[in-house]
Amino acid sequence: MLKKSIINELKYIVGETNVLTTPEALKAYSYDGTTDWQHEPDVVVFPMTTEDVSQIMKLANKEKIPVTPRGGGTNVSGGSIPILGGIVLAMTKMNRIVKIDKENLSATVEPGVVLQDLTIALAKDGLFFPPDPQSFFGATLGGIISENGGGPACVKYGVTKQYVLGLEVVLPTGEITRFGGRTIKNVVGYDLMHIFISGEGTLGIITQAELKLNPLPPAKKTIMAVYNDMADAGETVFRVLEKGIIPGKIEFLDNYIINRVEEMVPIGLPKDADAVLLFEVDGIPEAIEKEAAGITDIAKQYGAREVRPAKDQAEADQYWTARRAGFAATFGKSPTVKNEDVTVPRGMIPDLLNKIKEISKKYDVTITVLGHAGDGNLHPAILTDRKNNEHYERALKAMDEIIESAVELGGVVAGEHGIGLEKQKFFRKTMDPVAVDLMIKIKKLLDPNNIMNPNKIWD
Amino acid sequence: MKDLKELKKIEQYADSCIKCGFCTFFCPVYQEDKIETNVARGKNFLIRQILKGEQKFTKEMQDILGRCLLCKRCWFICPPKTQIDRVVMAARAQKVNEKGMGFIKRLIFSKLMSHRKLFGLFAKIVQKFQWIMPRTEGNVRHVPDFVKVMGRRNFPEFAKKFMRDRVKPVYESADGKPAKIRVGFFMGCLIDFMYPDLGLKAIEFLTRHGVEVVVPKDQNCCGIPMSTNGDFKTARMLANKNIEAFEKLNVDYIVSICATCSSGLKDYQKYLPENEEQKKRYEAFEKKIKDINEFIFDNLKIKPEDLTLKKEFQGKTATWHDPCHLVRYQNIKDQPRAILKGLNGLKYAEMPNADLCCGMGGSFSVYHYDITKKIGAKKMNGVKATGADIVVTACPGCMMSLEDSAIQNNMPQKVYHILELVE
Repeated sequence: MLKKSIINELKYIVGETNVLTTPEALKAYSYDGTTDWQHEPDVVVFPMTTEDVSQIMKLANKEKIPVTPRGGGTNVSGGSIPILGGIVLAMTKMNRIVKIDKENLSATVEPGVVLQDLTIALAKDGLFFPPDPQSFFGATLGGIISENGGGPACVKYGVTKQYVLGLEVVLPTGEITRFGGRTIKNVVGYDLMHIFISGEGTLGIITQAELKLNPLPPAKKTIMAVYNDMADAGETVFRVLEKGIIPGKIEFLDNYIINRVEEMVPIGLPKDADAVLLFEVDGIPEAIEKEAAGITDIAKQYGAREVRPAKDQAEADQYWTARRAGFAATFGKSPTVKNEDVTVPRGMIPDLLNKIKEISKKYDVTITVLGHAGDGNLHPAILTDRKNNEHYERALKAMDEIIESAVELGGVVAGEHGIGLEKQKFFRKTMDPVAVDLMIKIKKLLDPNNIMNPNKIWD
Repeated sequence: MKDLKELKKIEQYADSCIKCGFCTFFCPVYQEDKIETNVARGKNFLIRQILKGEQKFTKEMQDILGRCLLCKRCWFICPPKTQIDRVVMAARAQKVNEKGMGFIKRLIFSKLMSHRKLFGLFAKIVQKFQWIMPRTEGNVRHVPDFVKVMGRRNFPEFAKKFMRDRVKPVYESADGKPAKIRVGFFMGCLIDFMYPDLGLKAIEFLTRHGVEVVVPKDQNCCGIPMSTNGDFKTARMLANKNIEAFEKLNVDYIVSICATCSSGLKDYQKYLPENEEQKKRYEAFEKKIKDINEFIFDNLKIKPEDLTLKKEFQGKTATWHDPCHLVRYQNIKDQPRAILKGLNGLKYAEMPNADLCCGMGGSFSVYHYDITKKIGAKKMNGVKATGADIVVTACPGCMMSLEDSAIQNNMPQKVYHILELVE
């Protein structure tokens, strides 16, 4: 519980209506997109300006109150859970798109802008922001930058860190500072901006961002390749890239997902296939026709039993809806789902897929695989039930082994979801100890009182 | 400890939420203030806390439950298809079980609206005194300026003579031949009291297309105002009365021109059954219910180009507003568009956010008129973007709300029921 005087000070800073303290509101800010994590804050505060954030941080720093920044609450690693209570800094009302600069191909946004709102606004000017975390209906730019989010489009376009030109940040001590700028090139001093991208909100609050944009590609085409063996699908991914074709997206769906999706939205996916790959090529119409033909040939050469180009955008949309439904398909079918975010170098995808099959057999648990195969980022999900101790134990062991295998194959424990609370136990195991030590020192330097999203990333 | 009977019934739906937060983007209420308790995910979470015994029906909780339009826009995009309408309505019903209805609502729902004759009498008295409300224009009136709390809300006025006093029990098919289809006509309160001409027009239209229409006198309110407010008991009583009124008439279908009523009648089986026998009876009733849009298009198979556009609409551009109770509760969206696009002499322009709720949400607009107005303004921005001359829909509730929004936003567009456009 916070002192009444602190609540009053917060109300003085942001106004009465922007401070929530009812038990109901505190419950509604106790969770995010994860299944397991939950903790109530003592107060929810909605800042409206950078100055508000600065004053709140100064107060919190003086009183040593934990502050957890929160955008759309779509985090899937527990990063926005106020695990020590204190203040939830809800950034949802700082949601102005300040400027779209067509000539500079850049946009200035506040952290509470929802990605889909930005996408709609940019499309009017023929522009787009390529990173596309699939939580785009709820995810805010502040969170996407803090988590260095990615999505299907990253195979060609890269992740969020490649699309941030500048940041305005309020440090845990309340100072307002700026990093980067509005230019593509910038080598003035240390590139400190990037520690705030993927800082998971532990180093400061992003209050404004300058984003790099791309012009919308004039044409797109979707191709589905069907496989009897998922390892062949895995191989096709890097063979296509190796042959010089870089599709906008390459997505992977396994047999389990295909069948659940077909149950929900029957669109004629091959139910007996071991896996399908969905490719999307985008660019100049003549170029993408050639790329699509190239993908068709390569997929057939490396074991696809069937390759279906979508005949029009409506059919393409169906395939992508199916891909998005895959996520619900997994979560809807089991009381508890352990969703992974492992990423391996692309050439290792077939090995990882085979390993997952083995692990699934070894521990006798269902593991579904869906993911952004194009960038080596897979989301194996283990279906289990927390209430069934014996099964849950096996599921956890399977999860550990998947992560160990990914790391052995030269990969990482998290590709785009961050560490937060969910992946903490793997953090020290898979990171260089000197690097961990350095991170802890940086955190101490910026946040001497350990109030900024404390107890995240490392334990 | 109460039994949580109503909530237990929907526990499985509440549990299906995966907290992904997609609903935030589609919730008209959340979009206005960005507070988590106002969106489906937050409500659903709190309702699950009630089920776990960790949350009570506090005043704040009741207010949170009230802040839902039941527009189901979130359900449409929800990956696991969490049936938030069921969850919220059951929570409201549970609250009624534990805390009662509240004096005014109880009086209105169970003592007034559910008694056909009494309600008619009451409506007549209101009609006699509606001169208190200043006239905005035509037959639209507004709340007097001195009643500041409600804003300057505009309403259509009560009709001089209600539909119930103008209908015959049976209308034979106009061509004199034995009718190929016999339907029961369900009026609903708004058509009865405010838009009786529209109701009579519908009957005339149907008979002209070879349909025999019967209008039972003992039909009632559809029950939606009660069930959405958690008064399942009164809603069930009305469901049974309505089924009785139509059951004995031996009709092929029961047609309504109010999207909310047709959806309400169809959904008795979803929200109200207390036992298997009741469920079967409600399900059988559901199969007979047709909204006028699907009836014209799917059952009568009338081609839009065979319909005649009224002269006053010649050359005009129309845009369609999807009533929540049509587009999401009944999945009726293509039929009205096909009619509007096919009508000779009418131009059609689709508005962005055609499926956005008008903001009324029944009694929601009584308690949260400030939010209603903001949502209505967004809707009007969509209308403006089309350059349309008229807004067309098929729900008297939406018509009321859209008319008010147009006036509030100084827009010239008038609002029509789709049937008003054709001869």
